[in-house]
Amino acid sequence: MAEQHDMVTLTIEGAPVSVPKGTTILEAAKRAGVLIPHYCYHPGLPVAGVCRMCLVQVDGVPKLQIACATPVTAGQVVRVFAPEATEARKGVLEFLLINHPLDCPICDQAGECELQDYVFQEGRARTRYTPTYPKRYNPVEDFGPDILYVANRCILCTRCVRFMEHAAEEPVLNVSERGDRAYIGVHPDHPLDHPWAGNVVDVCPVGSLISKDFLHKARAWELDKTGSICPGCSQGCNVALETRQNAVVRVRPRPNAAVNRYFMCDHGRLNYRWLNRGDRIEAPLVRRGAELVAADWDDALRQAAEVFAGVGGDVVVLASPGASTEALFLAREIAGAGFRGAFRVERVQEEHPLAGVPNLALRGERSPNVRGALVTGYTEGFADAVAALPKAGAVLVLDERLAGVAPAVLASTPVVYVGTVLPDGVRAAARVVLPIANVAEEDGTFVNRDGRVQRYFQAKSAPGMARPAWWVLGELRAALDRGEPLASAAEAFDLLAAATDAVGALTYDALGTRGAVLERATPAGAPR
Amino acid sequence: MGFPHKPHPKETVVLSQYFGDPEARSYTGWVKRGGYTALKTALGMPPAGVTDLVKESGLRGRGGAGFPTGMKWSFMPKEKTKPHYLCCNADESEPGTFKDREIMRWTPHALIEGCAIAMHAIQAEVGYIYIRGEFTEPIRIMQAALDEAYQEGALGPNALGSGKRLDLYVHRGAGAYICGEETALMNSIEGKRGNPRIRPPFPAQVGVFGMPTTVNNVETITAVVHIVNRGSAWYKSLALGNPKSTGTKLFSVCGHVARPGNYEVTAGFPLRDLIYDMAGLRPGRTLKAVQPGGSSVPIINREEAEACLLDYEGCVAVNTMLGSGGLIVYDDTADMVYQVMRLARFYAHESCAQCTQCREGTGWTVRILERILAGKGKMEDLALLEDLGEQMTGKTICVLSDSCAAPVVSAMKRFRPEFEAYITGARKPALALA
Amino acid sequence: MKTTGEYQPVFTGPRRAQLDALLTRYPTKRAALLPALWLVQEAHGWVSDESMVEVAETLELTPAYVKGVVTFYTMYHQHPVGRHFIQVCTTTPCHLCGAEGVVEAFLKHTGCADLGATSPDGRFTVVEVECLGACGFATPVLVDEDFIEGVTAEQVPALLRRYP
Repeated sequence: MAEQHDMVTLTIEGAPVSVPKGTTILEAAKRAGVLIPHYCYHPGLPVAGVCRMCLVQVDGVPKLQIACATPVTAGQVVRVFAPEATEARKGVLEFLLINHPLDCPICDQAGECELQDYVFQEGRARTRYTPTYPKRYNPVEDFGPDILYVANRCILCTRCVRFMEHAAEEPVLNVSERGDRAYIGVHPDHPLDHPWAGNVVDVCPVGSLISKDFLHKARAWELDKTGSICPGCSQGCNVALETRQNAVVRVRPRPNAAVNRYFMCDHGRLNYRWLNRGDRIEAPLVRRGAELVAADWDDALRQAAEVFAGVGGDVVVLASPGASTEALFLAREIAGAGFRGAFRVERVQEEHPLAGVPNLALRGERSPNVRGALVTGYTEGFADAVAALPKAGAVLVLDERLAGVAPAVLASTPVVYVGTVLPDGVRAAARVVLPIANVAEEDGTFVNRDGRVQRYFQAKSAPGMARPAWWVLGELRAALDRGEPLASAAEAFDLLAAATDAVGALTYDALGTRGAVLERATPAGAPR
Repeated sequence: MGFPHKPHPKETVVLSQYFGDPEARSYTGWVKRGGYTALKTALGMPPAGVTDLVKESGLRGRGGAGFPTGMKWSFMPKEKTKPHYLCCNADESEPGTFKDREIMRWTPHALIEGCAIAMHAIQAEVGYIYIRGEFTEPIRIMQAALDEAYQEGALGPNALGSGKRLDLYVHRGAGAYICGEETALMNSIEGKRGNPRIRPPFPAQVGVFGMPTTVNNVETITAVVHIVNRGSAWYKSLALGNPKSTGTKLFSVCGHVARPGNYEVTAGFPLRDLIYDMAGLRPGRTLKAVQPGGSSVPIINREEAEACLLDYEGCVAVNTMLGSGGLIVYDDTADMVYQVMRLARFYAHESCAQCTQCREGTGWTVRILERILAGKGKMEDLALLEDLGEQMTGKTICVLSDSCAAPVVSAMKRFRPEFEAYITGARKPALALA
Repeated sequence: MKTTGEYQPVFTGPRRAQLDALLTRYPTKRAALLPALWLVQEAHGWVSDESMVEVAETLELTPAYVKGVVTFYTMYHQHPVGRHFIQVCTTTPCHLCGAEGVVEAFLKHTGCADLGATSPDGRFTVVEVECLGACGFATPVLVDEDFIEGVTAEQVPALLRRYP
């Protein structure tokens, strides 16, 4: 009942809606399925109330109210599409366009521009700002390593300024000058080079702040967007991979209040080209003398199974902590009783927090699934595991590139390499090579540093004969008579859950698009 | 008194009694004229008692909005759990208004005394007098008076021996009309751009530095000194029109008049007497239009002006507002089209750039009026101006955009033939477009 | 901080002491920004990008923040100006009383080519300003820190002689 007392019921566009006390009309309307047009409001930033776009009528209140800053009250009747309200928003839209260059055909934002959208939705068909009036003109400015500012398209919503001030807590952007001469400014000695700067491009509702990396690369409507998890560090930011013609062309944050809110860092954002690299292993390979030659899957899997069938001693699995939890688990299953799993991870000293958001940083641990590797029984004793290789019965390498591992160490033990690209050392040593998909090409899960298991989804197809790791390892497991072949990542996850205490009752479906925290998850930073 | 002219018999001289009297500027001079007795009295009263006294007097804010002062003070938290602040609004920037300037120039100690009383009433230990940057002379005089007041012990850790700490500082503005808006003023004191804030929260809860704050105009605060000295009943009795408007009000009369200056009259005083008898039109001229409350209020014509009683209600009755009491007089030589363009240009220059309607609407209004004045206007421009005025009214954080629209729309209503004459070519263009 | 090597810091010696005294008046350092910028302008005659960096470092702000504030307030000069800075009010009440003629007289007698431009001898810069708040004393003119009331076009040459 306590909850009931904290709820407020109001009517928005004729529909009753109950929301927690303190909710704004704008957020309440979202729950009622009504999008109130807005520009300056952003759920991840302090309210500014300056664009005046979200004006709505509230019965009994003489003036129109801004939905972004007006809290709900019990019994409130909100009319978003009352004639006075739509007329006011039409006015705002006309004002926003009088100095706008109307250069949609060459603007990167076209197709995902909130100015375009709302003008189409409720703007005037023709402006009354006839061509006889001059338009304000300011040159394009270079704000920093990846960001251009097209002042003429700016609507002064100040989302970018507030992001830098309140989220990044480094106010390197300002509003300069006053009136219709105002623009977003920087100090000439202090560029916008903050490690989280790229978010200003996302929060910009129009084509004013744009990414150099994405400049003129694609039109918004050509892009397919797929939910994924950033593989750049152990934070596990939720992202969308945006693809065109089977290539990732842009990565943007996907909101998740528990992980990254609305943001992602530039390291993660700009580090996507490897997902498209062309030098991938495109077919299973088997050894024929000094050569690795292409084989079909049946042949390669049979030869791989032979390596592990009846092997004596340790089966060392050298795994990348960038592999899916499912792949890590299945590799352990294949290793069987002799499993000795190890990984290594790039660690850099400095973290780059987004200061204004709790528990959000580009982590020093630069792999997405260290926690997943730990949960599935791997240790960080990579060097020890390598030292033990000569005495091992077999080695399964899971997308670990083996940089720095001397070829001689690999010579005495049969090596099965399951990976995306083929390093030279592996080329000389591997008995069988099984090509797998990368994170953009398969479904799977990562476990972030806080123990949140999060799904990522296939965004593009894998090259050639490469298959998702869960499929490849599932087939290998079946060839070893340790279970049925797997039909999906979900099945792999269910096996993993059944066999892993920490994962417990989590199901793949229940993870959804937001993930779920491991049972008995220890907080990040606690001793493991 | 009609400073810089001799007092007129129709004036009720209270605040302006010592305008032009340099001796009143010094601490001793002010004390000799009865100064600091009100503060002494007030410090002997409980804060709520002072607030009640001001409430009873009927004093309303003289900065423009006319909000009851005592009620404003009573919004401050009674239980003091964090610092309270007083901000004295001396940013007098409303075109047509120059009364606060004279109060500060001639009777700086009256303002200090009033601030100290107000600080006591709202339980503030620190106050800031925010003076617009252009007021170099008032800033010098106020600073010198503050230094004296500290030396004499009227301010400081033990104000007038009361055991109370009262610290008062001058904070100099730097050129921004909008800082006269109370939330913009607080932002400016905090070292920010002078952007008005969205309300709620209201200053009495979250004001300057996030603390409970009261912002009062110079004239308002100075009136408090006299209310404490002479009682609320006396102040309340000063009302010629509506009993909701009490006391005296300084009117800064300017524009097309023979004797521009500050005239102090009782609330409800007839506007016609102020213009015809006191400030006087220039020889041979007739009255055309008036803005009684500064450049932001609707322009009224001669008939409306002659019927206008100068109090809050009296101005509303003739479709305008009392505002700050900056009374701009236009005689028959005034080109109303040009003058409203000039006013719109002022607001376009001063818009803080936050709200869309204001940022873009003020500039657009100017450009339309400039085209009309250049002989290139169209009849539909007049409807457009009216519609822009509608879009710019009641939809923004503060009223700057309303203030731009009000004179334009009101002038078009009353002087439409002048606008049409430029459009039809009956009148020669008054300016060339760049 | 990038400097031309010629930059003279403002907040050393007496001005540092002035700023420290100002800081005691406010609960935050940021609040001393407007007064600090006045001190900069007093020292240098204008507020340069370099001095914004100095102010930012002194008050624990960012230079961009300081620049946003500087550009809001019209009295801070963002460029060097003449030895004497002349501001003539031309808003409505003064305009009604002939302020345009006063502006013309100032331009003519200072030799400034245009509003905002500095005279070739570097002596004057003339600008029009919006309302100086002395409408009953048209036309008010602010020369540096001197507020002069009731200036007429005829008085301009004599007035200028007071500012060598």
